[in-house]
Amino acid sequence: MKYLIASTLLCALPVIADATAIEESPWAPRAAAYRLTLFMGNLTPVPWGEIERSWTSPAPGSDIQVAPLSRVSDKEALAINQAMQAEDLQALFEASTIAIAEGILRHLDVAKTALGQPEAAREVAQAAALFRAFEDGIKAADASAARDLGRAWLVLNSTLGSAGVLGNGAQTVDADQFAEAQAIVAAYIRANYLPSEYAQRDKLTPLPETVVLSGEQITMPATLPPGSNIGDQAQLPRLVLQFEEAGEDEANLPLVAYGDMLFDSPEIFGGPARELGIACSTCHNRSDVNRDFFIPGLSSHPGGMDVDGSFFNPMFNDRTDDHLDTPSMRGIRFTAPYGRDGREPSLRRFIRNVIVTEFAGKEPTPFQLDALEAYVKQFDFLPNPKIDRSGKLTDLASDDAKRGEVLFNTKFAGLGDKSCASCHTPDRQFRDGLTYDIGSAEPPFPGGTASAFETPTLRNVNFTAPYMHDGSLPTLASVVDWFNDTKNLGLDEAQRADLTAYVEAVGDGEEPYQVFEGRNSVFRLSWEELTTFASTLDTLLPMQDAENIAVLIDTVAPDLAADASVMVNQNAKPEIYEFAAILRAVGDASAEGNWTEATRQWELFKAMQAEIDERMF
Amino acid sequence: MLSRRNFLGAAAASAALPVMAATDQGLKLAFIPQENPEKLLGDINVITGWLSEQMGVPVTGFVTFDHAAAVEALRNGDADISFMGALPFVLAEDQIGAVPLLSEVYRGQPSYSGRVFVRRDSGIETLADLRGHDIAFSDPVSESGYIYPLDLFVRAGLFSGTGDADSFFGQKFFAGGYQQAMQAMANGLVDAAGASQYADLYLTPDQQAEIRVLAESEQIPSHAIIARPDLDAGLQAKFIETMLRLNESENRHLLAYLYGPDGYLPADPSVYEGVRETARRYGFLK
Repeated sequence: MKYLIASTLLCALPVIADATAIEESPWAPRAAAYRLTLFMGNLTPVPWGEIERSWTSPAPGSDIQVAPLSRVSDKEALAINQAMQAEDLQALFEASTIAIAEGILRHLDVAKTALGQPEAAREVAQAAALFRAFEDGIKAADASAARDLGRAWLVLNSTLGSAGVLGNGAQTVDADQFAEAQAIVAAYIRANYLPSEYAQRDKLTPLPETVVLSGEQITMPATLPPGSNIGDQAQLPRLVLQFEEAGEDEANLPLVAYGDMLFDSPEIFGGPARELGIACSTCHNRSDVNRDFFIPGLSSHPGGMDVDGSFFNPMFNDRTDDHLDTPSMRGIRFTAPYGRDGREPSLRRFIRNVIVTEFAGKEPTPFQLDALEAYVKQFDFLPNPKIDRSGKLTDLASDDAKRGEVLFNTKFAGLGDKSCASCHTPDRQFRDGLTYDIGSAEPPFPGGTASAFETPTLRNVNFTAPYMHDGSLPTLASVVDWFNDTKNLGLDEAQRADLTAYVEAVGDGEEPYQVFEGRNSVFRLSWEELTTFASTLDTLLPMQDAENIAVLIDTVAPDLAADASVMVNQNAKPEIYEFAAILRAVGDASAEGNWTEATRQWELFKAMQAEIDERMF
Repeated sequence: MLSRRNFLGAAAASAALPVMAATDQGLKLAFIPQENPEKLLGDINVITGWLSEQMGVPVTGFVTFDHAAAVEALRNGDADISFMGALPFVLAEDQIGAVPLLSEVYRGQPSYSGRVFVRRDSGIETLADLRGHDIAFSDPVSESGYIYPLDLFVRAGLFSGTGDADSFFGQKFFAGGYQQAMQAMANGLVDAAGASQYADLYLTPDQQAEIRVLAESEQIPSHAIIARPDLDAGLQAKFIETMLRLNESENRHLLAYLYGPDGYLPADPSVYEGVRETARRYGFLK
């Protein structure tokens, strides 16, 4: 979804005037570990191993040069370690809260004694970074305190004095004002994060203690822990759509265009996916895979996650920690049944399962399912001239691959007198639509039954590493070795190389990553896509379909505004905000049943689109 | 963006310079941090490793506390080269004779502006409307985060200098950075923020849509990379030549470790004349 693209790019954007490459995310070693603990501590069952790792080794993206727990006191470190060993959630909450709170107070005390020196500013900055561990909770629960504390931090920064540059721009210290502001912060910290006794918690929370004790029900916004990456990967996969290859414009295919919009819309999911802006395309990026997708606590490595954990839909929690690599959706119309074990016989049921079961969305309408199915059925494999229509190698394949093709079709005793081709059937897109227990899954408990998995297609497999359902094998050669070793195929080194060459020939594809010649501005791509999405209003407005119009508007209008962040022509941002507001007006009028006004605003939108199209870029 | 003509010119000029006299000296680079110096250390290792390999001399880097510390490091020889804002540069030039080597190019431009931002729903329409209201700036020695936004009020005739600002505004804060100043404004802690042209990118997309630019300053030369004056001329030239290779497509990914500009241009000392003049006007330079 566009919001994510924009957010991610924002994080990556440098701000030239402060001369730093460092993204300005709420980040500090202790605060980050605390927030990661909150995230994982609220997953059920509690992933204690992951919690321990979050304190002892940094999550990807939070990579630091500071030893774990090196900035807390010995006493605080001992308490944190003991709580983790005891697997005591309340004790861990208390120990980590104390470590953060005491850290803030310590840094401010040091700053006070160093007023006028550069160290004072550094200590205040450290204190402020730690304070971020509590800030979300205070903002959500206590707006008045959040304002007082925010002003106090401004005063702290403004009164600590500065020597300027070589004496120029020097600022005098105001010790009295600093002390006043410090007292405000310290009093709140002591009252809310260092009480004599903490209230017992069912779930960890950054809410202030006084609010917890009041019993007030506060809804915290969904957040992901530091180190999460739910934005697009840098190299965008090439999206091969049947209609585009046939020279058709998506705007002329309203059902497909609407499905495309839904594929990019978090609105069809429930919380917290919707709040976080996670859509189908977040993981299945441009029909392929977002290989950078990573959420500490849910993903064991980038490119997938445990979708049936408690975070997105507690009702669906299967209480096993089983990361699943995101499958590519290229050529999905050929790959029924669906789901890791083929439990869903149709694409339609699979899509519904993802929306309702995995991501807690409300029941999609038949129209929405029609649209999503119409869109994803347009996903095609990357063209591969090394194989013909029946899956046989062409003359473009290497001799190694051709020798491998023979091996691929050879029956082995270790495969039950079947060949590789028996399951990865060449004339069926290198799959057979069946599921097998190939012994690559761990049983859920000792003596339990390991899962069976669908035969995956080998088409375009070169671009979907790592391999197996859990991404446990890094290369196709290692997959060949795994089968050779576990199924006693008896292939020598040269034969394994030939078989690998064959799989690589079958798994190849032309131009796997998208190049946008002459259109390589992120905003322009988004603009074209979002205005295509909006074009389905030409169909929805005459149908007076208020429900689907609402989904469209809630997806496209905020995305347009968000995408203004990544415009090259930043001076045009206000126009995009105006443009988004017109679209919002279409939605408002539609919700009121004022179809004349909705249509008028839509015509205004189209007129402005034509005008902007001519000069925006 | 660096034009091909400029780039070739710079490369040719570098090639014509004499071979470095002291290639075994190595280079010490000073990096200006923000709030996460520990992470910057990792970025520095990437860049210094690449520079060492390309230049054939040992290059090391360290994080200074701020611009002032970087200038001090240049003065006492702890650093040879430093990343630097335009205002601190002209001060360093004046006091210790620092020389500019390279200028950043960002969003296709070697310059940027300072702005005054307000919330759209604030009812504030002009700079004059901010009389008696609270404002957050970034830092007292920041060009786009203080002096240039402040200069907008002076040019509008609302007050005459930094001293008068305190009586014009309700309260004037130095928030400690662009993000802090912008967040203070967006969250309603203050009514306005004076910050860089690009500082709104520190806000979430939702927040960005809720603010607007009240006024924009003249262009300020972008951040520079500067050297201590007595650094070997051959080493300076070699450094410039090497850094300009970052503009080549195969090296561009490294820019992300260097504050993420589009690329670099050879510095032109004359483009800082406006900054020198502004610095003099506000008493930073004699």
